[in-house]
Amino acid sequence: MIRYQCLELLAANMSDQLVVTSQSGQRIEWSHLSRHEGNLLVGMMGCAIGVATGLALALPHRKVIALDSDGSVLLSLFNLATLGNLRPKNLIVFVFDNGVYSGSRISYPTATSGNTDLAAMARGAGIENAHTIRDFADFKIKSVEALTRKELGFFVCKVEESLMHREIPRPNTDLAENKYTFVRYLERTEEKAIPFVGRG
Amino acid sequence: MKDELAKRLVQGLKDAGIDFVTYLPETRLSQIVPLIRDDPQMTLIAAANEQEAVTIAAGATLGGKQAAVYMENTGIYVSCYSLLTVGKQLGVPLLLVIGYLGGVPDQRNSFLYATIGKHTIPVLDGMGVDHQVVADGANLEGRIKDAVRAANALRAPYALLFAGEFSL
Repeated sequence: MIRYQCLELLAANMSDQLVVTSQSGQRIEWSHLSRHEGNLLVGMMGCAIGVATGLALALPHRKVIALDSDGSVLLSLFNLATLGNLRPKNLIVFVFDNGVYSGSRISYPTATSGNTDLAAMARGAGIENAHTIRDFADFKIKSVEALTRKELGFFVCKVEESLMHREIPRPNTDLAENKYTFVRYLERTEEKAIPFVGRG
Repeated sequence: MKDELAKRLVQGLKDAGIDFVTYLPETRLSQIVPLIRDDPQMTLIAAANEQEAVTIAAGATLGGKQAAVYMENTGIYVSCYSLLTVGKQLGVPLLLVIGYLGGVPDQRNSFLYATIGKHTIPVLDGMGVDHQVVADGANLEGRIKDAVRAANALRAPYALLFAGEFSL
C-alpha cells in the first residue's frame, strides 16, 4: 500500500474535517494534496495526536483527523492510554506505518518492523476500534466508514517506504501562518472568537 | 494548602477565563483537582504525562478554549519538548499552574526535591518561558489574570510557580 494513494482517497472524501499532521512524509504529501484551511501541519514528531485530541475535546461536534507515522507514535505512546480512556467519538487517527525512520535518510527500522504491533497496543490501551490495514481496498472501506462513524478510530496503515514526499514541493507556509489560517477558519466556521487571537 | 486558598486559586482561574485544564496530580496543589472536576464550566482532562498534557491543552486552545496545564515542576522537565515545539515554536498560549517543589520557598523542601527545585527556573529561562513565583495569596486573582493576559499577548506558555503558603 502506498501512503500517497491513501491520502489522495482521504482528500477526495473531505469536507469540513480538521486535519492535524505530524512531522513526517505525510505532512508534505497532505499539504500538496489538500489546501484546506482546516489543515494544521504541526511540524513536530510526537505531538499531532495530543493536539488533535485537544481539538476534538474542544470541538466535539467537529470531526478531527490525525495523520501520523509509526516513528511519531512510538515517540508518544502515552497517547494510547489517554485516548483509550477518553475515547473522543469525533477523532480518527491514521498511522502510516512504513516500518522505518524514513526521514533519517538511512531508513533505519522502527520497532514496528520488528515485534511491535501498534494496533494491538492501542486495543490493550482501551481503544476498541483499532485495526491494522494492510491493503488499499481495506483502507478504502475502513477510512470512508470512519469519516461518518461517531467512534474513536485508530488505524495502523501498513505502507511501503515511499520517497515521493522528497519529490514534491514542501509547504511554504510557516508554522505561525498556518496556525492563523487554521484559527481564522475555525472562527469563521464556528462563528466565535478564539480568545488568544485578540485585537491589536 | 488551606482549602480556602485552593478555592481562591480555582476561582481565580475561572475569573481569568480558564475553562479547560489538563493535568497530572501532585502533592502541593492537588485540592484544586476535585474543585475543577466538579465545576460545570470547566473541563478537566487527565493526561498520562506532562508532555501530553501540554499538547492536549494546546489543541484545545487552538479550538477556542482558554487552557491551563496543572503539573508538578518535575513535569517541566518531562514536557520541555512540547513546551518548546508546540508552545513556543507554534506559538500557543498556555497557563502553566505548577506545584514548585524543592525551591527555596517550598515549605516541605527536602533532599527529595531540592535538586529538582534548583533547576526549575533555569530550565524555564533556558526555554524562554516567562514565569513568576507565587508564595502567598496576596492579589492571587490579579496575578492569575495578569499571567493569562501575558500568555495570550505573547502567544506562549506562561508559568506560575506555586510555593510558600501553597506548599503547606
